[in-house]
Amino acid sequence: MSAVLDLRAVTFAYGGRTALDDVSLALRPGERVALVGHNGAGKSTLMRLITGLLKPSAGSVLVGDWDTRERRPEELATRVGSVFQHADQQLFARTVREDVAFGPRAIGVAAGEVAARVARALGALGLDAVSEEHPYDLPPPWRKLAAFAGALALEPTLLVLDEPTAGLDRLARRRVAAALTERAAQGTALLVITHDLDFAAATLDRGLVLDHGRLVRDAALAELLALGEGLETLGLAAPPLSRLSTALALPGHPIRAQEVASALASVAARNRVS
Amino acid sequence: MRALHPFTLLAVAVALPALAWILPAPTGGAVTLAVAALLLLVPGASPGLRVARTALLTAAPFWFFLYLLHGISGMVPTGLRLSTMIASFVWLVAILPPSRLVEAMVAAGWPVSAAFLFSATLQAVPALRERAQRLVEAQRCRGLATRGGPLVRLAALRALALPLVLSALHEVDERALALETRGLVAGARRTPLAPPQDHVSERLLRWSLVAGCLALAVWRIA
Amino acid sequence: MTARLTLHAVTYHYPASPAPALTNVSLEVPSGAVTALIGNVGAGASTLLLVAGDLAPRVMGGELTGSVERAGRAALLLPTPWTQVSGMAFTVHDEVAFGPANLGWPRERISASVERALTRVDVAHLRDRDPATLSGGELQRVIFAGILAMEPEVLLLDEPTAELDPLAARRVWELIRSLAAGGMAVIVATNDIDALPDVADRVVWLESGTIRAQGPAAQVLVDRGLAADDAPGSTAVAAVWRAAGLGEPPPLTVSQAVERLR
Repeated sequence: MSAVLDLRAVTFAYGGRTALDDVSLALRPGERVALVGHNGAGKSTLMRLITGLLKPSAGSVLVGDWDTRERRPEELATRVGSVFQHADQQLFARTVREDVAFGPRAIGVAAGEVAARVARALGALGLDAVSEEHPYDLPPPWRKLAAFAGALALEPTLLVLDEPTAGLDRLARRRVAAALTERAAQGTALLVITHDLDFAAATLDRGLVLDHGRLVRDAALAELLALGEGLETLGLAAPPLSRLSTALALPGHPIRAQEVASALASVAARNRVS
Repeated sequence: MRALHPFTLLAVAVALPALAWILPAPTGGAVTLAVAALLLLVPGASPGLRVARTALLTAAPFWFFLYLLHGISGMVPTGLRLSTMIASFVWLVAILPPSRLVEAMVAAGWPVSAAFLFSATLQAVPALRERAQRLVEAQRCRGLATRGGPLVRLAALRALALPLVLSALHEVDERALALETRGLVAGARRTPLAPPQDHVSERLLRWSLVAGCLALAVWRIA
Repeated sequence: MTARLTLHAVTYHYPASPAPALTNVSLEVPSGAVTALIGNVGAGASTLLLVAGDLAPRVMGGELTGSVERAGRAALLLPTPWTQVSGMAFTVHDEVAFGPANLGWPRERISASVERALTRVDVAHLRDRDPATLSGGELQRVIFAGILAMEPEVLLLDEPTAELDPLAARRVWELIRSLAAGGMAVIVATNDIDALPDVADRVVWLESGTIRAQGPAAQVLVDRGLAADDAPGSTAVAAVWRAAGLGEPPPLTVSQAVERLR
C-alpha cells in the first residue's frame, strides 16, 4: 500500500529560524493520526507544507505520487482536504449548501457529482436542517461544521485539520468524530492537530509529537497518553479516562470509553467479590 | 514626522485631497500628488517604499476604470485627484497609530465613540490585509485558482472579496459588542493616559491649512 | 453569601425574532461562588450572560420582560480574545488600562488597579509586550486582567477556555476558583463539563432558553437527563461509570471513582 502522505527529511527554515528540522513520517490510507506539540512546535508549518502553501527548504513532501514543490495548493486540493483554525471566517456563499459546493466545483467535479458530494458531507455532519441558511446567520460552532463539510465534500485521500473541536459542544464534537471515523473507514487518511486529547483518544490511533521543530515521538496514541504528567511539557494534559486507567492500573491502559467501561466493570466485580 | 500632533497629521492628510479637488486640474492634482508622494517616499521621516507600493497598487484599478470611461484626457485629472486621496490616506494609516489619534481626540474633549469611529477606520486597512491573506490561502486550499487569465482572476476576486467583506462586517458587530464590555459606552468620558504634546506652531499650521483650503474654495467658486 | 445578581422571570427576544431566546428564567447568583451555565449551542447561555451584563437589550436591541437586579458592576469575558482586544494598545500594560481609562477614573486609580490585575492574573511579566505578539492563551489572560482591572462585582465568562490548550485552560479555571474564593460573584458558561466538579459551586442547565435544572454542582451533574444524546453530557468519568453498569449516583472525578472502588 503506497503512502497517502510521505515526508522525507523535511526541513523548513525562514529568516534564520528553523521551524521544522529533518522531519520524516508517512501516512497510509485510513490511518488516523493526531499531531500534538506545544505552541510554536511547528504544527501549523507542517500543515502549510502539506497543503502546498509552503515549500520545504530541504527534503520533500509527497502527497500520493505528487511532490508539493511541483504543485500549487489548488491542485493539491484534489487530494488534500484542509480545515484551518478560524475556518468559520472563510465562508462566503449565500447558503451553507452553496459554500460546501464551492470546493468540489473549484476542483472540477461534474455538476451531478457535486450535488451528491455536498449531500453526503452535509448529512455526515447533521447540517441538512440548516443547509439553506446564510452561513453568518449560524452561530460560530455551526459555521465551523459548515467549513468542515466543505473539506469533506472534496472527498480527498487525506484530511488535515487544525483544532477541529475548539469551541464545539458535545453534540458537534460527536458529529465531527463520527464523520472522521466514517471517512477513515472508507480509506481517507486523517491528520489532526489537536490538544483535545479526549477527542483524540476516542477517534484517533496514532500520535506524532513535535517539539521545537523535531519529530520526537511517533507512537500509538495509548502509549502517548500513558505518559501522564510527561504530557505537560508538551502543553497537554492527560484526559480523564486515561487518568482513570492509570489510577486504577487498568490492564492494557485502555483510553476509549467502551474499553475503559469494560475494564471498570471487571475491577468493580473483583472488588465486590474480594 | 511621527512626533507631530495627530491633529496636524490628520489636517495634512485631509488638506491634500481637498486641495487636489479645489485647485484647477490637472496641475492642482499633479502638485498635491507630488507632495503626497514626497511624504511617502522621503526616507527617515516617512513610512517607506512598501507603503508607497500599497498606494500605487490601490490606485491602479481606478486609473484603469477611468481610462475605460473617459479615455486618456478624462482619465488624467480625476486620476491625479483620486491618487492624491489614496496616497494621503495610505500615508496617514502608516504614520498615525490609532491609539495616538484616540488619545488626542479624547484630550481635546471629543466623545469616546467618535474617537473610536475614527481610529477603527484607520485600523481597518491593516486588519483587512491580514485577513485577506488568510482567506486567499484557505480558498486556494479548496481549489481556487488564483493564477491565470483575467476571467480566472475575476472569479478569484469574487471568492475572496465577498467573504472578506462579510466576515469583516460581521466582526464589526462583534467588536462593537466586545468594546462595550471594555467600557466603551456612548457618552463615556475617557481618561487620557498619554495625551500627545501640542505646540503653538502646529496649531498655527493646522488652522492655516484649513483657512487656506477654505479661501481657495471660495476663490474658485467665485 | 449574598445574591449579587438576580434574574426574575426573564423572557428575552432578539430583535426581529419571533421565538424567544430566554423564557421565564429566574436565577440568583451569589457572591463568593462559581455558578456554571451548561447547555448546547442555542440553549441560551450566551444570551443569559448578555442579559446579566446589561448588553441585552441595551446594546443588542430586542425585548425583555421580567427583571434583572445587579448589585455592582458586571464585566463580561468573551471566548474570542482577538475580538475583545482593544487594538489600540502597544503594550500589555496599556491594554489592561484600556477599560479603566474608559470608565474615566483618575490616573492614580487606574495605575493601582492595573498593577493589581496584572499580578492577580500572573501576566505582570508580559507588561511591556505588544499584545499582537501574544499567544491565544496569553492574550485571553491579558483581556481577563483588563476585565478585572475594571473592578467588577460580578464576573461573567462566556466559554473562557474554548480556544485554549489544556494547560492554559487549567490556569484560567484556577484563577476563576480563586476569584470566587475572594468574594466575587462568578457566572461562567462552558462546555468543559469535566472541569466543573472542581470549579463550580452551582450548576444551571439551560435547554431551549429555559432552565431545565439548577442546584449544587454535585447534584445537577449526576442528573440522568444530562446523559441523553442531545444533552451536554456529564463528566467523562460519570459516563464511563454508567456504561460499566455501576451504581447511581456515579462519581464525577477520577479521585471520587477511586474512592468508590476502595
